[in-house]
Amino acid sequence: MNLIGQALTVVRKDLLLEWRGKGRLISVLMFGVVTLLLFSFAVGPDSTLLRAAAGGFLVLALLLSSTLGLSESFRVEQEQRAIEGLLLLPVDPIALYYGKTLSNTLFLMLLAPVLTPVALILYSVQLDLKGLAVLLGLWTLAAAGLSAPGTLYAAMTSRLQSQDVLLPLLLFPLVIPVLMGAVKSITLILTGDPMSQVGSWAALLASFAIIYWSLCGLLFPHAIEEGI
Amino acid sequence: MTRQFKWDSGIGLLGLLLLFVGSYIGLFVAPSERYMGEVQRIMYVHVPCAWNAMLVYMLAFIFAIISLWTHRPKWDAATTAAAEVGIVLNSLLLVQGSIWARATWGVWWDWDVRLTTSLIMLLLFAGVLALRSFVHDASRRATWTAIATIVAFVDVPLVYFCVRWWRSLHQVQSTPDTVAPMMVVPLRINAFAILFIAIWMMTQRARLELDRRRQDQVSEPERLAPIGGSNNA
Amino acid sequence: MSIRATDSATLAIQTRGLGKRFGRQWALAHCDLQVRPGEVLLLAGANGSGKTTLLRLIAGLYKPTQGSMTIYGMDPDQEKLACRRTLTLVGHDNYLYSQLTALEMLQVWTRLRGAELEKAQAIELLREVDLHDRRDYPVGGFSAGMRKRLTLLRTRLEEPRLVLLDEPFSALDAAGQNLIEDWIEGYRSAGKTVVLASHNLPRSSRLCDRAFLLQEGQILWQGTGEAILDQVGTTV
Repeated sequence: MNLIGQALTVVRKDLLLEWRGKGRLISVLMFGVVTLLLFSFAVGPDSTLLRAAAGGFLVLALLLSSTLGLSESFRVEQEQRAIEGLLLLPVDPIALYYGKTLSNTLFLMLLAPVLTPVALILYSVQLDLKGLAVLLGLWTLAAAGLSAPGTLYAAMTSRLQSQDVLLPLLLFPLVIPVLMGAVKSITLILTGDPMSQVGSWAALLASFAIIYWSLCGLLFPHAIEEGI
Repeated sequence: MTRQFKWDSGIGLLGLLLLFVGSYIGLFVAPSERYMGEVQRIMYVHVPCAWNAMLVYMLAFIFAIISLWTHRPKWDAATTAAAEVGIVLNSLLLVQGSIWARATWGVWWDWDVRLTTSLIMLLLFAGVLALRSFVHDASRRATWTAIATIVAFVDVPLVYFCVRWWRSLHQVQSTPDTVAPMMVVPLRINAFAILFIAIWMMTQRARLELDRRRQDQVSEPERLAPIGGSNNA
Repeated sequence: MSIRATDSATLAIQTRGLGKRFGRQWALAHCDLQVRPGEVLLLAGANGSGKTTLLRLIAGLYKPTQGSMTIYGMDPDQEKLACRRTLTLVGHDNYLYSQLTALEMLQVWTRLRGAELEKAQAIELLREVDLHDRRDYPVGGFSAGMRKRLTLLRTRLEEPRLVLLDEPFSALDAAGQNLIEDWIEGYRSAGKTVVLASHNLPRSSRLCDRAFLLQEGQILWQGTGEAILDQVGTTV
């Protein structure tokens, strides 16, 4: 079987696991909603301020939820060392990496349909359908950008005692370009984009995703050379 | 054991000497800058630190690639040494930048492109060392350090451009472009001075790392005698 | 029955001076092993004597600190995937996802090997280990013995030439242990190579063609299956 087939088998398995363990997805979603709520308390009930910061809060909620989702996705693998069972099969490590990264991207994309409406309501922002579609596109690019290094680091830290600290420590500084790109572009969508800058920010998000999808795919086989 | 005088100690001493000379010229000989006055003299250590921090991070990146390729302990030691020296220079850079910001713009921190980028850079490489400290197995530690170093370094240009765009809504700070010849001389001297000191620190650190690793390298135990001698198989 | 052929291509496993160090501890040292295709090999020894390390080195889960090896003439470093296709290891872990059913586990494993498993085939396999009634239950609810049986099915569906078993009898009841014994006999007659590490010497010694006794990471003794019972009685 080719690389793509193997990667898709991994994705299928992950989605099935996600579906069976709905509790996990719901917990991460709830976490995201709670952070959105907490951010509004940090700013206070000033609707102008809240509206201006809505994009930033939404992306921060995504970022904070992402580390939970990423470490969860490898906790299932480590629970009964299922990942070793996969590594023992004649599976190309690259297929394994892209399978896991794709399913993590899909997982993060699933947060959008819940977190976006909550943010729109809480921060009283208006958004038309076209804006919503663009926002979802940007969200997808950000999710892909977060997942690429996120999956690599989640795999590497999955058996270390301090994964909960180490993963954000490694990931947050690294994904600052994603954070900035997503915050800027989504804020422009929410508050109006007079100079049509969204395109260039989207390009930045896309380049980050492309660079790290390729780089981490190259590095992952080395990372798991002696198992994880 | 008598310690031999090693070539890198010579380089370190040369670096210190040059730093003294360069800083003397910078502090007492070079003219003061027209708009910023005396505080501008911090440039004579700030700019060389910045150049060398970038250079040393770049070395860490190159060493990391070689380490991943060859799996030789010495390249792992070199990667770690470069990353750590990079962090030292980077921290100095931030402190000096902060002083500069206080003197010129009246605040300790400004979201200036270079200042912000160097803060993120520091966090990136500190993460690499944090990861390293959690891995006990030597060969895996080497591989993972190399991977994290490569991943972190590739991010640096992305962060730089990103911060620049992010900042572009605000006005861009200008740096003095009228430079007198007597300003260039101490800048150059100090650049080499800090380069030499950095090389000296890296070789010391790499040597320490190799020593530590050698301590773990217990040689294979003696072959035990087979039981009973009736190796009939 | 001494082995004279040293042509690595004709051997199932050949190791030369294999050694593995963890930190300051050598888990395995000076390991020279020559296994012909179709042999059943027993690794015996106390806890921490290096049995698991040796199996994991052969399976390619560890990289040797010292020495080299070939598997059916292949260098595991160069032909990793080909080696993985050739061998299978069932270790101490069960490699299961709690939320998947027994049937789905089998399907995931087969698909990743590049094959497709018909449902009828899968049920047949599960019937062998007496799990066919439970095929649609999540494995998270299985007992330790049931999980072990399910994981041991990996050696059946993957059709490898080299089967590595680490404590295959642990957690299994008498019926399960008999079943694994039958399987191993079957592998031998099919010309497959089996290396098993076990503390259950009465059972495993009558299965094996040759037995090795490990101590402190080194092979101290080798002989026949019957002989190891006497040997262990006197030394360990």
